[in-house]
Amino acid sequence: MAVNLQQADASSVLEARRIHNQKLARQHDQTRATWFPLAVLGVLLALPLLQLTGNYNYLLHLVLFTASYAVMASGWNIIGGFAGYISLGHAVFFAIGGYFSGMLLARYGISTLLTAPLAGLVAAICGYLVGLITLKVRGPSFIISSIALLMIARILFDHWGFIGGANGMSLPVTDLPVLTAKLPYYYAFVLMAAFTVWATYRIKHSKFGLGLRALSKDEVKAESAGINTRFYKVLAFALSAFFVGMSGAVWGEYLTYLRPNIFLIILVSANLVLMCILGGKGTIAGPVVGAILIVAFNEIFVATLGASEINILATGFVMVLGLMFFPNGVIGTLARKGKLPRVLNWD
Amino acid sequence: MTDILQILILGLALGGVIALMGSGLSLVFGVMRIVNLAHPSLIICGAYVSYWAFKLWGLDPIVTLPIAALIMAAIGVLLYRLMFESQAKSARYSEMTVLLTFALAMIVEGFLGAAFTNTQRVTSPDYATDAFFIGSLFIPKGQLYAGCVSLAIIGALTLFLNYSRLGYAIRATTQNREAAELLGVNVNLISMIAFAIGIGLAGAAGSLVSFVFSFFPAKQWEWIAMLMSVVVLGGMGSVLGTVVAALLLSVIAAFVGAWVGATWSTMTFFLALFVILLIRPQGLFGEKPELA
Repeated sequence: MAVNLQQADASSVLEARRIHNQKLARQHDQTRATWFPLAVLGVLLALPLLQLTGNYNYLLHLVLFTASYAVMASGWNIIGGFAGYISLGHAVFFAIGGYFSGMLLARYGISTLLTAPLAGLVAAICGYLVGLITLKVRGPSFIISSIALLMIARILFDHWGFIGGANGMSLPVTDLPVLTAKLPYYYAFVLMAAFTVWATYRIKHSKFGLGLRALSKDEVKAESAGINTRFYKVLAFALSAFFVGMSGAVWGEYLTYLRPNIFLIILVSANLVLMCILGGKGTIAGPVVGAILIVAFNEIFVATLGASEINILATGFVMVLGLMFFPNGVIGTLARKGKLPRVLNWD
Repeated sequence: MTDILQILILGLALGGVIALMGSGLSLVFGVMRIVNLAHPSLIICGAYVSYWAFKLWGLDPIVTLPIAALIMAAIGVLLYRLMFESQAKSARYSEMTVLLTFALAMIVEGFLGAAFTNTQRVTSPDYATDAFFIGSLFIPKGQLYAGCVSLAIIGALTLFLNYSRLGYAIRATTQNREAAELLGVNVNLISMIAFAIGIGLAGAAGSLVSFVFSFFPAKQWEWIAMLMSVVVLGGMGSVLGTVVAALLLSVIAAFVGAWVGATWSTMTFFLALFVILLIRPQGLFGEKPELA
């Protein structure tokens, strides 16, 4: 009898807790402005209508560029922000995605818009295999090993004749008229960015995401709490590689050529890290905000100063300032002060 | 047989230089637990000092070595004050400092690239292209001198660390920061001095590198992975380990370069890094898996 009573108590406690959690979730939902990201998406989808009134290709290019970086930075955020493993080697997956789809386009004429998910999958498989090795170490060791990964990939890509070696290879140029030439890639990147933001949201709010956040705080404790940390972090690495690879695939066709010194440079990786840090590591909106900031910043620098060396210098400088004075990024700092506007609260 | 001996000699001579390049990195990690990704870019700074001194005034790189070392040490003090002192209390210290040094590497690369362009440079004193011949063996003078000078500097560093009061303090801080502080060591000051010495060693290595390798600002990424593999294999923080690992890896790389192909000789270092991290993350001479 007593046992039954206890069981009844336990289940009622669980029930009460469930109701309480639902209430909290509802309150949280009310503070979130879901309409805002959707409205932004709507505006972006309608933006090409401007082409009817004139040539806005530059504007489209900027949005497309930002969206491609938003995809990659959000992807990086899964391993770097949620799981806390800073990878400086994600340019490798960018290149794998770009080359995989680019080769299919060059050999068989299949558009990368169709093969992008496949390219993401290939990048994810590579990420899984690499992660099995490199994720054995954490902290600075992991960062170093990710740089080594980039160097190894660079040597391989530079000397692999089949994919054009260091000279790379050119891809067929689209035969669409000027005004619509950018549109397929534009829509591809905007939709990919929307999908990525949605996916990272789902990941963050799943049991998997909770596990990642636990292991980023303390891996040993997470392990003893019954989380399969090895599998979790390797999977997170593979998932982040998926998004980066997918973006690389379409980017290759958009550029119309593949070359190791465009895809496999540390500046690409550095930009991803920088976007997540400036925007706010581990938040959903952070990488998107970071991508907007960095692209705007890059455009200003390229437009006024031009040279790529100055660009590297400026990127490094912004990174130092960001790290020293805003380690939590825009979203993180605002959220900590309780001043995050509702429209930017996507978590 | 002569072939093998020849490759061994070339490998050892280069290994001496690489050891000096890595020793500063190892010292800085030992004392401050900073993985200094900017180290190779600072080596390149030192190389430019010697390069311009040679180009403008005809000064020998080995003569300008102390000057390069002093300039870089001063820059080291400045960097420590500006960037790393305030990070000591940071919750994610190791990651923050790695990212900071990474950003610093980009700043230095961008600055050098903008100032001196990305063309390949090499200092060319007479001995750089000259060689000794012993029987059929061929020993390039430049590499030999550089290797000897760097081993001498490392020897002096070891003596300094083992037999001076300041050296004791540095080693004490390496072993246990809190305990050293309790015994009256000014840990902050020691960190600054060690950091300055580490960056000074980068400057000294730069002078030697300027006539051993051709260099340009973007070369640092290759060297980062190379030096990291040396330092990780040696056990981070151990200067002796760094020397042993540098000689070992550069001899292996020399054999790979001679028998497999020049492209794959740099690959040796990168693959070695992976293997070491996988099998023995604390390295040959490391005591506990610091980084794992």
